[in-house]
Amino acid sequence: MENISLAFQLMIVGMVTVFIILLVVIQLGKGLIKLVNKLAPEETAAPQKAASRQQPAGIDARTQAVINEAVNRITGGKGRISKIQSL
Amino acid sequence: MEQLTEILDKLYRMTAFSDIIADPAFLIMYALAFVLLYLGIVKKYEPLLLVPIAFGVLLANFPGGEMGVIQADSEGLVTLADGTKTSIWGMPLHEIAHEFGLMNFLYYMLIKTGFLPPVIFMGVGALTDFGPMLRNLRLSIFGAAAQFGIFAVLLAAILMGFTPQEAASLGIIGGADGPTAIFTTIKLAPHLLGPIAIAAYSYMALVPVIIPLVVKLTCTKKELMINMKEQEKLHPSTTEIKNLRVLKIIFPIAVTTVVALFVPTAVPLVGMLMFGNLIKEIGADTSRLFDAASNSIMNAATIFLGLCVGGTMTAEAFLNLQTIGIVIGGFLAFALSITSGICMVKVFNLFTKKKINPLIGATGLSAVPMASRVCNDIATKYDVKNHVLNYCMASNISGVIGSAVAAGVLISFLG
Repeated sequence: MENISLAFQLMIVGMVTVFIILLVVIQLGKGLIKLVNKLAPEETAAPQKAASRQQPAGIDARTQAVINEAVNRITGGKGRISKIQSL
Repeated sequence: MEQLTEILDKLYRMTAFSDIIADPAFLIMYALAFVLLYLGIVKKYEPLLLVPIAFGVLLANFPGGEMGVIQADSEGLVTLADGTKTSIWGMPLHEIAHEFGLMNFLYYMLIKTGFLPPVIFMGVGALTDFGPMLRNLRLSIFGAAAQFGIFAVLLAAILMGFTPQEAASLGIIGGADGPTAIFTTIKLAPHLLGPIAIAAYSYMALVPVIIPLVVKLTCTKKELMINMKEQEKLHPSTTEIKNLRVLKIIFPIAVTTVVALFVPTAVPLVGMLMFGNLIKEIGADTSRLFDAASNSIMNAATIFLGLCVGGTMTAEAFLNLQTIGIVIGGFLAFALSITSGICMVKVFNLFTKKKINPLIGATGLSAVPMASRVCNDIATKYDVKNHVLNYCMASNISGVIGSAVAAGVLISFLG
């Protein structure tokens, strides 16, 4: 009987805690979105523009887009493509 | 002639055959190992986990191989080869290796200390994208509803005669999160680690079967045809994210801090999950750490975790009524978690104009990203244009946080 009341207690405390934590995470997320929108509203999309200006002959737009995406992924948007050359 | 018989007898005793014939239970464990290997290799059910676990089962059940994990009793005592009893916690690791073999060395160093599950969580974090969750924050609450199965089965298990610690370890299978289930079981009922890990990973592998079954029993066609994108167009969200990259870097730091303040016992799991995610989101500056966390460390941890979990499944520890209870209870926990997520969406839909597809509730349990993929497949079966993957991922990822928090609550109350 004691264990059953403990189980009910755990059910109530556990579910309430999980709901509260996720509600806090949701509100935190909303707050962070507002904060980031206010303080750092723009994404750094410079690498793609820089690369597109230097599209070499023989490299089609699709290949270049793939290379741009790969460089952005690997460098977290900080990398610059200075030259694309066929080997 | 007598000498020859004696030699042959000694040879027979040297092999494993004498022990296997004396205790045929080993054969059942071999059969189980072969079935698990078949499921992992041929059926491709979670092969990265089932193959090491199954091979660990096989290794643990060769008499004389010393690859089976011995469990200390409730006071931490184990029996040595000379028959004397000693506390396992007083034994240095090299002595454990010498006395009980390599697998016990690995188990007591990596598993019993609770080291590997958080390391795996770090790898999971490195492979997780919080983008879908941040874009659909309100859907994250269904990750909480889907934890109900954990506590419902805890209650049922206590009624079946399990101790509260054992019942909590059984219930946590409903979180559908292998490392969380293992972490909780190590802390609360380490003697049940083998069957609980097997049940947790088997049901996770069976997500493509269990979710459609529960959805079929609980949802109508009309509900499953709710198109999330159309709902979004009808009732557009007021929140716009202008810089997702910066947001994704700040989010794991903020969540870790908040969870650590509210449920400190969940920090090993949530903290490592968020750390893994942070080194992913920072990008080039921490790309080497990200690479290590998501590849080499994750892979090594998975191998040792799988082998050690398999190693705990000796015939003596596994073949009993408790294991059957765990298999049944684990399934119930899993199904109840899915059902409670769906039910919460239905209740939600009663009060809001912007309707939600109940499949988003079904993915509130962890099992990322398989649960989301399965639910997306179900939705597109009813309407080929209704892709719910991104929305499902929101509740799916929050389910990982939810189950880690639930584990933290159980550990702090029962540990």
